[in-house]
Amino acid sequence: MRLILIIDDEDDIREVAALALETTAGWETITACSGPDGIRAAADPKRRPSAILMDVMMPGMDGPTAFRELQLKPEIADIPVLLLTAKVQGVDQRRFAGLGVAGVLFKPFDPLTLAAQISAALGWKD
Amino acid sequence: MGDAEEKTTALLAALWVKVRPMVEERLALLDAAAAAAASGALGEAQRTEACGAAHKLAGSLGMYGYDEGTAVARKIEALLGEAAPDAGRLRALNAELRRVVFPES
Repeated sequence: MRLILIIDDEDDIREVAALALETTAGWETITACSGPDGIRAAADPKRRPSAILMDVMMPGMDGPTAFRELQLKPEIADIPVLLLTAKVQGVDQRRFAGLGVAGVLFKPFDPLTLAAQISAALGWKD
Repeated sequence: MGDAEEKTTALLAALWVKVRPMVEERLALLDAAAAAAASGALGEAQRTEACGAAHKLAGSLGMYGYDEGTAVARKIEALLGEAAPDAGRLRALNAELRRVVFPES
């Protein structure tokens, strides 16, 4: 069973992403509304996520900063992180991809295909 | 459409009802920015706040099926990214966004 950690400061984005992944793919989800909360959730050994879907623009700690923080923790550094962004300009996309994340997905996402997008980005076959 | 898709679509429709007040709040922020721009009183803080509202609308409306809303919100975000956005253009785009998202009103 896949467990996806969704980190976004927007309530409705978290809610739509969670319901989409649960209903279309049968995956479990956990959510966090900030970078620090997300890092704490990822580090919970009882519920280690299969992947992290994280917003880029968040108040306080943004997505790229949270990603770098995750990379400093050896026990969770190998969890694949997909950044979620509404930035459509190529320069932003290249900057995010250059961080070393597993992929970049774009807002607004299609709830009916979000799970397929994640699977494709991570090379998941199931 | 499969069961999962039908269920997801129904849940999204219910969620849209829930988020509608927040969308209306963001549209009101954009209208206020247009009014301030028209009177020459659009300051940096208000422009930045309105730009953020447009960015959030651009990133969310398409999830609910309002792809055109996302496209218009992106134009508004780009306009509000300018130091002195054209008030008339901003007002027109705001009206277009409202028409697209709330065609019944």
